[in-house]
Amino acid sequence: MALTTLFVILISSLGAGILMQWLPMRHQPRPAWSQRAPFLGGGTPDSHAWSRYHIRYYPMTLLLIAFEMEMMFMYPWAVVFVEKGMKAMMEMGMFLAILSVGIVYAWREGVFKWQ
Amino acid sequence: MAVNWLRNLASRRSVPVFPVLGVQGDKALRHLTLSPDIELVDSPRHASVLLVAGEIPADRFEPLRRVHDQLPSPFTTLWFRCEPWPHLESVIRVDDLDVLPAALVTAYRELMKGRRESSPRILPDKPPNPWEGEGDFGQGGEGMMGGVPYGRPMAMNMEDDIRDGLTLDSLTFRLGPFFFAFPPGMAAEITLQGDLVQTWKTQLVAYPQSLDPVFFTARERPVPIAELELARARHHLHRLYRGLHLAGLESASLSALRLAQNLSTTSTLDGLHRYLSRSGFFRLAAIKGGVLGPEQARRIGGPAARAAGLDEDLRSDDAGYRRLGFSPVSQAGGDTGARWRQVLAEIDQSLQLARQAERDDMTTSEVDRIETPRGPWLEKRPEDASALLDEILPGQEWGDALATIASLDVAAVAEASLDTQTASEPRITNTLDSEGGRT
Repeated sequence: MALTTLFVILISSLGAGILMQWLPMRHQPRPAWSQRAPFLGGGTPDSHAWSRYHIRYYPMTLLLIAFEMEMMFMYPWAVVFVEKGMKAMMEMGMFLAILSVGIVYAWREGVFKWQ
Repeated sequence: MAVNWLRNLASRRSVPVFPVLGVQGDKALRHLTLSPDIELVDSPRHASVLLVAGEIPADRFEPLRRVHDQLPSPFTTLWFRCEPWPHLESVIRVDDLDVLPAALVTAYRELMKGRRESSPRILPDKPPNPWEGEGDFGQGGEGMMGGVPYGRPMAMNMEDDIRDGLTLDSLTFRLGPFFFAFPPGMAAEITLQGDLVQTWKTQLVAYPQSLDPVFFTARERPVPIAELELARARHHLHRLYRGLHLAGLESASLSALRLAQNLSTTSTLDGLHRYLSRSGFFRLAAIKGGVLGPEQARRIGGPAARAAGLDEDLRSDDAGYRRLGFSPVSQAGGDTGARWRQVLAEIDQSLQLARQAERDDMTTSEVDRIETPRGPWLEKRPEDASALLDEILPGQEWGDALATIASLDVAAVAEASLDTQTASEPRITNTLDSEGGRT
């Protein structure tokens, strides 16, 4: 029952939202091509603006993932380690070895240098 | 019903106006900035009214057509001291600066209440480059980056990086002449790599700026130093207003403009100076670039040269100024921050000189050696220095580049001031004290 009520509320609110957007827009034509051109103060572009550029926080992200994943995995591992002993130790060693490649790469990229 | 109510509500807000600046349209811009009912926006996407302020030269008609069509519907246009194009129907032309804000408000209200038709688009409604329909994404070629979607190529890393060896796709475009962060009328072809300016070619130079009439009078006969210095301070304050607007310090920019409007020998810069120090303007990373070498600084002259450590000021040669104990102020850095510090120091100095000169009733003695706020005026008026931008902007990040442009007063000085050119039109000097020049 509760689920049906929720479903009805969801449908009616979505419907109202769509209706509110559709009603005023139903007679509006699509914006003209000349309106949709990129604004360059009257200038024109040579190419699409879909260009690859450098996100400067990327090394920080790399570092976060490298260390974060390590820690995330270590908590459940600590529980299993008591039961499994040496086997779990070796598994974790392999995991850390793979992950540390990322850290070595980040080191090479100069992430640890304070700029 | 609901739509009518929404329309009424919309028509009561402040009017979003996108100004397209023509020759000497900056004065209208400053007047509107201080009008409470008008909200000047920096992009046509946010505007409902397009204001063409001042005469647009014929070589900028094509860009104007493009900007005109970029306003979202419904929109209307208003032409201020400029002849509307004949093929546009029911276009309002206004010549009086005093009635301009009211005319903009009326046009907007009528538009919102449906009593005025939206302006028609000028350019044909067809894609700039038609859909090719080839490739996986209709990009018109092989692979993800191989084609030319809509007939326009993708950005590619064609040139080597000039910063740190990380080659990024370079993006070439032409910006201006109606871009808010440029001096009015300037257009440039720019290649960006990421956020780095790789090449910069100024294609259209900024309109010559009009100086206060007192500088032209000073070329003919001695004038009171107080008047000359107040005009100089006003010119610099107008520039400061644009620089602070670019830095996002809206209230500081408005107080600079208000100070310029009500400038007298009793005005002080203390409040503004304190505000700028507290707001962190001088600690902005973007004002650390744009260093001018001595040779480049000499080419542009004026405050920009003194900010680079050159001690050259024609006022030192003037007997009147010497009696007031004038000595030029200068900075050492030569970067954008130094130029703004120099501008503030020169405003301060001008106000002091004006106070002293008014008390002692001093006049200038030289007539063929005038230091204008734009630079020295010996035989020739200060000329356009946009070529300098092509040299110093490559290698700068985009934000630094815009800050550098705002800090450099590159526009040439116009042949005569606005008042003498439009003598037939009603004088409007009481609304804003005087021309001042490019802001």
